[in-house]
Amino acid sequence: MSSLKDITITIDGKECKGEFGQTILEIARANGIYIPTMCYLTKVLPIASCRMCVVDVKGVDGFILSCQEKATDGAIITTQSQELYRERQNIMKLYNVNHPLECGVCDQSGECDLQNKTMEFGLDTQSFTAKDIARPIENWGYVSYDPSLCIMCEKCVRVSTEITGDEALKVKFGGYSSTIENIKIDKNFATLGEAASVCPVGALVDTNFKYSSNAWELTKIPSSCPHCGAGHDVIYEVKKGKVYRVSNEAEFSTMCSASRYGFDFANENIEKDTKAFNRAIEAFNSSETIIFSNEISNEEALILQKLKELKGYRLISHEARAYQRFMSAYSKISGKKLYRGDLKTLSKSQAIIIMGSRVNDDAPLVKYSINMASKHHRARVAYMHPIEDSNISNIVTQFIKYDAGSEEGVSALLVDILLRDIEVPSEIRDILNELDIGNLSAETNIGEEELDDLAKSLNKKVGYSLVIGADLYSHPRAENIARLLALLEKYAGFNIVAIPPAGNGMGISLICQLDDEVKGKTIGYNVKGDFTLSAFGGGDLDMPSLIQQEGTLTSIDKRVVPINVALDYGGYILNDIANALGLNSRYTVDYTKELPLDSGFKNIEFDSLPDSYSITGEENRGYILSEVDTKIDNKIEEPLEFEGIDGAVIYNCNPQEHFSPFTAKSKILKSKAYLLGSEQFAIASKLKDGNRVKFVIDNIEFDRVFKIDTSLKGTIALNPTYDMGLSTALLSSYRFNRLEKVGS
Amino acid sequence: MGLEKFKNRNVGTQNYKKLDLTHPPKSGWCRFKQVASRTFKPELFVGLWVTLREMINALFRGKMHTTQYPLEKLPISPRYRAIHEMLRLLESGHYRCIGCGLCEKICISNCIAMETRYDENQRKEVSEYTINFGRCIFCGYCAEVCPELAIVHGGRYENASEQRASFSLFEDMLTPIDKLNLQQEYQGFGAISPNADDNIKKTPLAY
Repeated sequence: MSSLKDITITIDGKECKGEFGQTILEIARANGIYIPTMCYLTKVLPIASCRMCVVDVKGVDGFILSCQEKATDGAIITTQSQELYRERQNIMKLYNVNHPLECGVCDQSGECDLQNKTMEFGLDTQSFTAKDIARPIENWGYVSYDPSLCIMCEKCVRVSTEITGDEALKVKFGGYSSTIENIKIDKNFATLGEAASVCPVGALVDTNFKYSSNAWELTKIPSSCPHCGAGHDVIYEVKKGKVYRVSNEAEFSTMCSASRYGFDFANENIEKDTKAFNRAIEAFNSSETIIFSNEISNEEALILQKLKELKGYRLISHEARAYQRFMSAYSKISGKKLYRGDLKTLSKSQAIIIMGSRVNDDAPLVKYSINMASKHHRARVAYMHPIEDSNISNIVTQFIKYDAGSEEGVSALLVDILLRDIEVPSEIRDILNELDIGNLSAETNIGEEELDDLAKSLNKKVGYSLVIGADLYSHPRAENIARLLALLEKYAGFNIVAIPPAGNGMGISLICQLDDEVKGKTIGYNVKGDFTLSAFGGGDLDMPSLIQQEGTLTSIDKRVVPINVALDYGGYILNDIANALGLNSRYTVDYTKELPLDSGFKNIEFDSLPDSYSITGEENRGYILSEVDTKIDNKIEEPLEFEGIDGAVIYNCNPQEHFSPFTAKSKILKSKAYLLGSEQFAIASKLKDGNRVKFVIDNIEFDRVFKIDTSLKGTIALNPTYDMGLSTALLSSYRFNRLEKVGS
Repeated sequence: MGLEKFKNRNVGTQNYKKLDLTHPPKSGWCRFKQVASRTFKPELFVGLWVTLREMINALFRGKMHTTQYPLEKLPISPRYRAIHEMLRLLESGHYRCIGCGLCEKICISNCIAMETRYDENQRKEVSEYTINFGRCIFCGYCAEVCPELAIVHGGRYENASEQRASFSLFEDMLTPIDKLNLQQEYQGFGAISPNADDNIKKTPLAY
């Protein structure tokens, strides 16, 4: 941002400081001055449909809408007066025309903006009238819409367009008969839950929650998302030992659909099973390796690391290990332990390159940020991936297809074109100069003109971002890819976000010293081992799931965020095992302050972690990892030649609303796992729609029904992995694999 | 007025009249005469006849003077707060409860528990409703807060039962559908006032 000018305005006699470009409402809120609003939603652009936020500006005729009017230096503003009160009162009267008097059964009752404002403006009579029309209730799948309750504030439409990017909701204009319509009703987007969460009245509500409880009966327990790795805030709403729904600070933040609807993953009705516990201790004493999935907290990861130091276990966590290796190579060029980018900067970028991740499915919050950049800042978005994604075609301005497996070459090409006019150390420049661009371009199947177009389109933009994902971490040449891409952060000023593996992959990679090879007997934690600790049943000893634990997670924003206990758990926890094995700590959260400082963690007690948003939307949850400098060696290599993966290829990719066996437990999320491929894939693999196919990846046998998805192209099919239970976290290889059918 | 006057308890005139009672027998002969006369006079049967006569009148001539509890009960005031009843809509026979949860919320002894769900007709349905009468203090708040006059206090004041559960379920409190014609409108706390019609403000109907 260039030269911000400070301005001073007077609101209700109080001098308020702000920045040029801020609206009157923003400055007023930042200074604790209340201006009533109905349609204003901080995270989207001003909607300006309610006119409640009117203020009086001295010297200007008529009222001004404070939500969209930028403040000018020296303005004198009145927010409360007789006329303004009457104006607002009339607006509220109009909102209440024919609004059904069914607060008694309405889900929003108790947290309804319309109720609150009707009370606030003392409305006890109605002087306006309109002939009512029939408005049938619609069930859209995850959400239900009651048009007679709708006040047409358009918040839901804005969230669906500007934030989640499903673009399913539209306003159907028609004066008094205006409604919201779902133009993609057959897709049944789970992200519409985000639109429902901002509804100020009971018009758009979650179908699963509808009429099941009054808002005021639910105890709100703040926590963080255990599924998607973005660590965004979630609030579990609990009554009598059951989660009824999950909400969030919808004014400022947005959730992934997995956490909104995948909340029923608790390991319930577990009691202390002493025999199983003793067997677990024996198993720990006789095992050499602990394999675990990403769905553990930072504290648990630290316990495992301490056990490693105490007993010499080998710690195996495939995804986190790949990420750890990738980031460690990355830091050899960038000089920092972690990437520089975060989602907020990403959402303000004007040029974004996505590479090596099917971002819509892998990281919904990253997709939201990219969508925000596209909608709010007209960002150019280049999507580089072997498979085109029709779900993000509305925001992608350039799709660059490369061959599966050629990521190293793609990185080299990208670095070459983007660093062409930028000064870099000579040893790096030498290698870049030696690149055989023609050959690389042939190998990766990217045309040189495509890259030229990309470079040209980025030319005049400010704020570049690069999003990279899991395809790269598990690539055989991941380390060189990391080094190449780190150059962009170091020398081209790119804001890079390396999407961490779902769950708490980043936390594990920062806390544990992970090993590559399994040796001896294994203990599996949420993974199949010789002795299995499991939070989703089917193991030898039960463990609490993340909804039943307190602790911290590490988020994509490099933030350490707290999770709290929403549901009771009666069994043994990892800390009990650790204490029996020789560690000594009363609670798991006693480890919070001991998280490794050399990875950027801070010496802060769990109980003193903040968990709130400020009135202007500043996130104040947990703390941000401090930057850790690392040694730079500036070593990059030329890309190796690679052998393409031909024939029918399958790509391990979960649908947007699923991440792990924990989300697979959800009864609300649609969850039939199919192998999805195009018609081309069907021909290449000799499969027909509805055929059953068995194949093996990393010794895990998949038995899937094949479905043709007409939105896909090419010979790559999507293979979900979330439903594989204790085997899910055993996957370790590159995400693209040749389809090797087994059996018949 | 001072307090002195009140402290004077000797108010009114003290003109007691002495009854002319017979004197107790003095001599042994007199005492003997009294015993003999009391023994041989048939006064006992005079008294027994009175009882017998009243019994015959009550049982066979329909001249009963007392309430035949438990066969017969006195009408109870509409404001008496006994075991709850759940009323039905007179027209449709559907129960009046809309599942708003206000009774559960207002209950000061936390004895009401309810669960609701989204039913097939896209309406809110009460799936569970219980009142724990071991805790209920019969304060009447639930009846007063109920916007639909659905939960009311009935006249059933005998709280003895073999099991508490026998009158705490929704169905037990609900007016039996075949006795809908006997359902009485509630007059107690929370009932609409007799002049309710006069207090209604009409919504403008300009169209």
